[in-house]
Amino acid sequence: MYSGRARPIWVFLTGPYALFLLVLLVVPFANIAMYSLHPYSPTKVFLPELTFANYRKILDLYYVRLFGRTLRLGLITTAVCIVLGYPLAYCLARARARWQAIGLFLLIMPLMVSAVIRVFGWIVILGRKGLVNQALLVLGLEPVRLLYSESAVVIGLVNIFVPFMVLPIMASIERIPRSLEESAQNLGADWYRMFQRVILPLSLPGLISGCLLVYSLSISAFVTPALMGNPRERMAGQQIYDEVLVSFNWPGASSLSLTLVLVTAALIFGALFATRHAGRGEEAS
Amino acid sequence: MSGQSPRLLLPFVLAAYLGLLAPLVVVIAVSFGPSAAFEFPPHGVTLHWFEAFFASQAFVTAFFRVSLVVGLLAAALATVLGTSAALGLVRFRFFGREAVETFFLAPLLVPEILLGAALYLFYARLAVQASIWTLLCGHLVICTPYVIRSVTAGLVGLDPRLEEAAMSLGANRVQAFFKVTLPLLRSSLVSGAIFAFIISFSDINLALFLSGPQSTSLPVHIFSQIQWQGDPTIAAASSMQIVIIGLLILVVQRIFRLRLVV
Repeated sequence: MYSGRARPIWVFLTGPYALFLLVLLVVPFANIAMYSLHPYSPTKVFLPELTFANYRKILDLYYVRLFGRTLRLGLITTAVCIVLGYPLAYCLARARARWQAIGLFLLIMPLMVSAVIRVFGWIVILGRKGLVNQALLVLGLEPVRLLYSESAVVIGLVNIFVPFMVLPIMASIERIPRSLEESAQNLGADWYRMFQRVILPLSLPGLISGCLLVYSLSISAFVTPALMGNPRERMAGQQIYDEVLVSFNWPGASSLSLTLVLVTAALIFGALFATRHAGRGEEAS
Repeated sequence: MSGQSPRLLLPFVLAAYLGLLAPLVVVIAVSFGPSAAFEFPPHGVTLHWFEAFFASQAFVTAFFRVSLVVGLLAAALATVLGTSAALGLVRFRFFGREAVETFFLAPLLVPEILLGAALYLFYARLAVQASIWTLLCGHLVICTPYVIRSVTAGLVGLDPRLEEAAMSLGANRVQAFFKVTLPLLRSSLVSGAIFAFIISFSDINLALFLSGPQSTSLPVHIFSQIQWQGDPTIAAASSMQIVIIGLLILVVQRIFRLRLVV
């Protein structure tokens, strides 16, 4: 290791990106923090006086409902992702190297394709003349309206975010030695009991970070609810998009954005704390 | 997998994969189908929608002039910025190093739609017109952490004594870096760059805010075409993105660790 004292080379190495982030991450958020404290006027971009009205507005019924719906859909999405993602993560973690490679490819490839493309696929599947309704017709049943509903939004969100649940859980299951599973079973535990007493508690940190990722991603989703949701039952991301680009209520959009950032940050710190706590419990036992 | 695990596990996992991959399969199938009504399964095979894609000025511009250009520039610049940042973080010990590291990975934690809105309002305040450059700057914020992660992982597995040995044999620090460290870091650099390209190429949340009328990226154009009920040209454009990204992911998996994404 070089000592950084004689010539602080690390300053030249880390400086450019630090400066870049300062200008394009910190300052823009400081800018919306400032916008959020100024009143909105339909005719002027900027009014000098200060106000909390933009935050008080969030307590209006419309916004309370908006946030309630957003947080609720986030919770449902996270729950479904656990149910689908946990078995997937377990299988991948315990699969042979070759299958694991194939499984990881098939998990990460869709993750990397633009969300809008995956949503488009679901529109084709769930649409009025889509795959599901064709199947219902073949079975002699009435076609149903699947798109533009909350369930469609949840299907879309789960499909997009489930890899974020699988990968952290998989990483923490891989760290559990196989011998631990075997010895639990040798001592007479059946698979379910072994899972409940060994795998589940030891994979808790991965599960927590997976939940956190999926929840914070789904409560700020835009594309999925915009294309698959009921236009009258919007999520927070859509409201922000509209207030920025359609109604130009920039102070309103700013206060909404900051509220969402704070919710996300609170979640992250809460979960970090919980993970650390869980980790300490592990060491103690 | 151990033989005693529940019998339903494997069918369940296969079903989950089916759901995961279904939208991509459907999009690719629709892009080859003759019907204009997003028919699945398609009755026949045609390249009509790919011809329509290349005949459409808007799609060609969005794909080749905006998304591809911004993606390649973002990959190149993010690799330079990210590699130098990772070197500073891994090879040097200084006060506040961990705080700097957290700060450098912070863009991964900020919801993209909020970053997009914040950047839009920031550009608006500075009266900067939307162009591929405003989009590129936004993408650099979200791409660089992937390079930092990938290069950090490569550097941690690399013995600093190799560089020291080169220096004791008479190379100066710059030579030692370019002749010893950089070639050894090649695969983590390339996968970092590929991730950066993919993140930029498939991004929609920032691009929705930062694309101007002259710089509509492919995902944004697809988004508006879906809203205006376009034809399967959308599917053709999407298929091309899926194939490009699939191939790139395959390369990363070959040369480095794929699971660094999350």
